[in-house]
Amino acid sequence: MINADLGSTVAKPSRAGRNPAAGRVRASRKWLPRIDFRRRIQLWGMALVLPAILFFMVFKFGPMAWAVGLSFTSYDMLSAPAYVGLENYEALLADTVFRESLVNTFVYIAGSTLLITVAGLALALAIATGVPGARHSMMAMFLTNLMPLIAVCLVWRFLLHPHGLVTQLLLPFGIDRVDWLTDSRIAMPMIILVTVWRFAPYFMIVFLAGLLAIPPDYYEAAEIDGANALRRFWLITIPLLAPTIFFVVVVSALLSARIFLMPYIITGGGPGNATRVLSMLIYETGFSYFKMGRAAAISVVLFGIMMVFTFVQMRISQRGEQVYTA
Amino acid sequence: MSARARRGGRHFLRRLWKSGVPGAVLLGLLTFAMLLPIFWMVSTSFQGGEKMFQLKTEWFPSPWHPENYPNALSRSAFGLFFFNSGVVSLIVMTSNLIFCTLAGYGLAKFRFPGERFVLIAILSTLMLPLEVTLVPTFLVIHQFGWINSYQGLAGPLLIDAFGIFLMRQSMLTIPTDYIEAARIDGAGELRILWQIILPQCLPALAVLAVLTFRDSWDQFLWPLTVASKDEFRTFPLGLIRFGDDYGNPPTEQMSIAVLATIPTFLLFALLQRLVNRGFGLSGLK
Repeated sequence: MINADLGSTVAKPSRAGRNPAAGRVRASRKWLPRIDFRRRIQLWGMALVLPAILFFMVFKFGPMAWAVGLSFTSYDMLSAPAYVGLENYEALLADTVFRESLVNTFVYIAGSTLLITVAGLALALAIATGVPGARHSMMAMFLTNLMPLIAVCLVWRFLLHPHGLVTQLLLPFGIDRVDWLTDSRIAMPMIILVTVWRFAPYFMIVFLAGLLAIPPDYYEAAEIDGANALRRFWLITIPLLAPTIFFVVVVSALLSARIFLMPYIITGGGPGNATRVLSMLIYETGFSYFKMGRAAAISVVLFGIMMVFTFVQMRISQRGEQVYTA
Repeated sequence: MSARARRGGRHFLRRLWKSGVPGAVLLGLLTFAMLLPIFWMVSTSFQGGEKMFQLKTEWFPSPWHPENYPNALSRSAFGLFFFNSGVVSLIVMTSNLIFCTLAGYGLAKFRFPGERFVLIAILSTLMLPLEVTLVPTFLVIHQFGWINSYQGLAGPLLIDAFGIFLMRQSMLTIPTDYIEAARIDGAGELRILWQIILPQCLPALAVLAVLTFRDSWDQFLWPLTVASKDEFRTFPLGLIRFGDDYGNPPTEQMSIAVLATIPTFLLFALLQRLVNRGFGLSGLK
C-alpha cells in the first residue's frame, strides 16, 4: 500500500527525473523569493498549523481574555460595560446558589471521573478476556456513546420516574418507590450514574487499546514465575496502563466540568439547587438575567477549576512515572 | 463427598470457565443491561400514549403504534430542525477533517520554532469548551453579525483540539523517510499529504468523522444561545419544546429521539472497520 504509493510518485519520470534537488528547482521560480530548502519546510509546517491557530485565537483565547475583562464589569448588552472592580466576584462569594453550584460541580467532577475510570477499565478488562462475542459486546456498548445526548437525557428522565423502569426492576429486591430525581440526596448520584452509562463505553475503548498494547510475554513470564491473576493485574497491567489511566482521568474530568445538558434536562438543576452546576449558572446569569459580567466571572471560576484539575493530574502522573521508571 | 470427587468438581468448573461459555453469558447479560435504555426508547416510540406511565413496562407494544412517527413529525417542524442539524453537523465534520489533518500533519512531521509551544497551546484549549466561554463567544458571533445563521451555529465548532491531537498521534507513526523520499522525488508538500500521509490515516479520519459529527449533532447549549428563530433551530431544541408543549404525548417524543439516533448509528456502521482500527483495536479477536 505504502510502497505502491511511493512507487507511483517515483514512476513518473517527468518530475523525478528532472532534478533530484527539486526544492531548488521550485525556489528558482521567478515569482517566488529564493528560500532555501530547510527554511521552506519550516514555513510549510507553520502554514499548516496557521488556520488552527487563527481559529483558536478568535474562538478560544480571545473569548477567554474577553471573559476575564468582562468579569470586572457590569454589562447587559444594552449599555456599554461599566468597570466595577471585584464586585462580581464578591457578589458570587455572597451568593448561596453559586456556592451550592460550586460544591455540586466538584462532587460531580470527582464522582463521575472516578466511576467512569473504574467502570471503563472494568469493561475493558471484561472485553479483553476475549470470550466469544466480546467484540460484538464492545461494539454494542459503544452505542450508548453514540446515542444523541438529548435522547439519553429524555430516556433516563422517564426511566428514573418514581414508578419508572428502574424502580420496577428493583421491586423484587423489596424497594418500593424511590424519588430518584426529587430527593436531594439521590438526584446527584443519579446524574452521575447516567453520565457513567453514557461515557464509560468510550473510555472502555481507550483502555482496551492500552491493554492490547501490553506485550503478552509479560503475562506469560509472570505466570511461569507463579504470580496469580491479581498480582499480574497490580504489577503489570496497572503500571503499564498508567499513561492511559492519566489520559482517561484528565479527559473525563474536563468532560465532567463542562456538563450542562444532563442536569438541565433530567432534573432542571433541582430539587432545590441539588444538581445545579456552574455551566447552568453561566447560561442563566448571562442569558436569562443578562448579567454578562457576572456570568463571565463564573466562567473564570470554572476555567480555574479545570486548570487546577489538569495541573494536579499532571503533577501526580509525573510523580507516578518516576515511581515506575525508578 | 470424597476429596477426589470435590477435586473432580473443581476441575470441571475450571474447564467450564476455560471454555469461555460462562464468560460469554456474563458479558452478554452485561451488554444487554447496558442496552436496556435503548430498547426502552425504541419500544416506547411504538407504544400507545396512555400506556406510558402504567406501573408495568410493556416491552412489546400491543397494539403497535407506528403512527407515532408521522404524528410527531407533523406536530412540529422537525423536518426543518433535522435539516438544520444535518447541515451544521456536516459542515463541522468536514471542516474538522480538513483542518485537523493539516494542523496534525504540521505538528507531527515538521520542525519549526515554537512548535512545542503551539502544541501545548492547542491542547490547552480543551480547558476552554463552549460552556465556559459561552458569553464572550456569543459576543464574538454577535460582532460578526452571525446570530441566527448557519455560520453562527457551526462557527465555534469548526476546529477541535482533540481532533488535531488525534491526527498528530496517528501521523507520528508514519516513517518520516517516506516523506523525505517523496520530497527528493519532487512531490509538493500538499501532494505528499494527499498521496502518502492520508491513505495511512484513514482509520484516524474515520474516528474523527464519527466523533465530530456526533459532537455537533449533540450540541444543545450553543444553538439554544445563538438561534432564537425557528428557521435555525436544531432538533434537540425542537424536541425539548415539543415535550414542553402541553398535550404532546411522550411516546411521540421518543419517536423523534429514535429518528435522531439513526444518523450517528448509521455513520458508525458505515465506518466501523476503519473506526476499530483507528481506536487501536485491530489486535482484538
